[in-house]
Amino acid sequence: MNWPAFLLSLQVTAIATGAILVIGLAIALVLTRVRFPGQIVVETIILLPLVLPPSVIGYYLLLALGRGSPLVEWFQIRVLFTWPAAVIASVVVGLPLMIQSSRAALANVDPVLENAARTLGSSELRIFWRITLPLARRGILAGLILGGARALGEFGATLMISGNIPGRTQTLPVAIYDAVQAQRYADANLMVLVMTGLAFAGLLWVRQLEPPPQRYRAESQAEELRDDVPATR
Amino acid sequence: MTSRLHVEIEKRLGSLTLQIQLTVGAEILVLFGPSGAGKTQTLQAIAGLMTPDRGRITLDERVFFRREPGVRTVNLPARKRRIGYVFQQYALFPHMTALANVAYPLAGQRNAHARAMELLDRMRLAHLAHRMPQELSGGQQQRVAIARALAAEPRVFLFDESFSALDRAIRERLHDDIRALQAEEQLIVLYVTHNLDDAFAIGQRLAVVRDGRIEQIGQLDDVFTRPANRRVLDILGIPNALSARVVESSPAQLLLDWDGLLLAAPPLDLMPGAEVTAYIRPEDIRLIYPDRPLSRVVGQNHLDGVVVERRAGRHVHHLRVQIRGGQLIEVVYAASAYATLPLRPGAPVQLALRKESIVVIAPRQDAHPTAPNLAPSTESLIKNTEHS
Repeated sequence: MNWPAFLLSLQVTAIATGAILVIGLAIALVLTRVRFPGQIVVETIILLPLVLPPSVIGYYLLLALGRGSPLVEWFQIRVLFTWPAAVIASVVVGLPLMIQSSRAALANVDPVLENAARTLGSSELRIFWRITLPLARRGILAGLILGGARALGEFGATLMISGNIPGRTQTLPVAIYDAVQAQRYADANLMVLVMTGLAFAGLLWVRQLEPPPQRYRAESQAEELRDDVPATR
Repeated sequence: MTSRLHVEIEKRLGSLTLQIQLTVGAEILVLFGPSGAGKTQTLQAIAGLMTPDRGRITLDERVFFRREPGVRTVNLPARKRRIGYVFQQYALFPHMTALANVAYPLAGQRNAHARAMELLDRMRLAHLAHRMPQELSGGQQQRVAIARALAAEPRVFLFDESFSALDRAIRERLHDDIRALQAEEQLIVLYVTHNLDDAFAIGQRLAVVRDGRIEQIGQLDDVFTRPANRRVLDILGIPNALSARVVESSPAQLLLDWDGLLLAAPPLDLMPGAEVTAYIRPEDIRLIYPDRPLSRVVGQNHLDGVVVERRAGRHVHHLRVQIRGGQLIEVVYAASAYATLPLRPGAPVQLALRKESIVVIAPRQDAHPTAPNLAPSTESLIKNTEHS
């Protein structure tokens, strides 16, 4: 078992997942709350990483993070071929899953409930924390797990922009590729098993987040009238 | 001091232009009208959930909304208006118990839970405090919603078709609750419905809304006995509306020409030739037994016709009769009456209309006519809509 690669993968995934949560939720909120011209184009661009080949994403990231890019020239962000580059690649591929799922969950929250909270004296922030977020939590969490799992499994773009430096930038998927290339199958088998187990656990968790079947009304209206104490006062 | 909510707003909503003016005191005002008339939007504007294009909404001295030329625009956010809003869809927070729902507006206050429990108890729900909303019936959910709105201690309560999804018996009990609450707390209550039975069950005053405007506003009975115009007649579902011309006007009576049919109506200060809208009260129409002498009161307005349709009800039967001139008249009579008359479709029938059964509303106008003067004894909170 390649422990440095495993630990680096955990580190990269943890940070990427945190970033996916914050960035993804913010984008999902904007997309559900704000209508702007060209929205559908923006939404499509956000989804592109889901279908683009990893090499294409990797190439775009090379352009964005390589010499001559404003990020490098103006902001002095030099991350190419370091592990933070792997985080960036993971975030880019995990984000669409998070945004898709949490956007659907946020849009599903009945605006009447938010209006009710408004008339009850709640600030928009309190409504978000107490009403919107709790009601959308399943979808948000599901999106986060899927995005995180995708981040953990990121391979192609990562290889292109953070490279394959054992102990420095080599994540678990890259290490598996490396092991197979070097015909270290025992190593590869173990790592493949670990990856499969993690992915399986993640998907199982997502499945369990799906809402349970609706319970029946406990009482019929006829029962209500019967057990109801007559109007007082 | 009695509080007053004053609304004077305009808002374009697609094809509809909302143009509402009304004043409500500590009473229950029913907004009645067909769906799409702008009733809900009016409530939303009051609650601050929708922003009108212009106008003003005030509760006594407090300005909720004001957008008028020459003055600073005010638009108080919904949370600062403290208005109780009870939605048709209950709108309970599904992830909180009944108790937590009621305690929601009390957050941060000491003994919030005790107070919430008290309010639930008042709505006869204390025994269900720890249920989740989906474990409650519709009526129970709506009572939790009322308790929750009460927790915010509103002066104004808005009911937006709140009970239209509920069974009649439960609706009636909720109406009792609301009337009791209103009287106790001297609340200003606006109650939106498209159901006339509900309007009668709860209302004191009635505003008839159509196409974004208030056609008539007044005491319930007054609106019914003296509808302002043909549109109000239609909205209220009053049958036997007719357009006629005054043929003769004397201190004793008015003689109307309804498409060739002459009808005697109670006297009114109108000139011959005036075009009027009138209606015949369907329950004031008598059927004549061919073999019995007529009483003197029905000595006028004898009409010959043919039964077109007969609908049997539990308490009353409905009869549609076509008069010789082609006019259709709806007759309502007690289920126990006229048992011996053959009233199947096609049967000839004779109707007698008392003069008083014909209600002449107003001279017909194309513009919105002003409502007839209501009894001046009723406090004149009533403001008729002005139309530009």
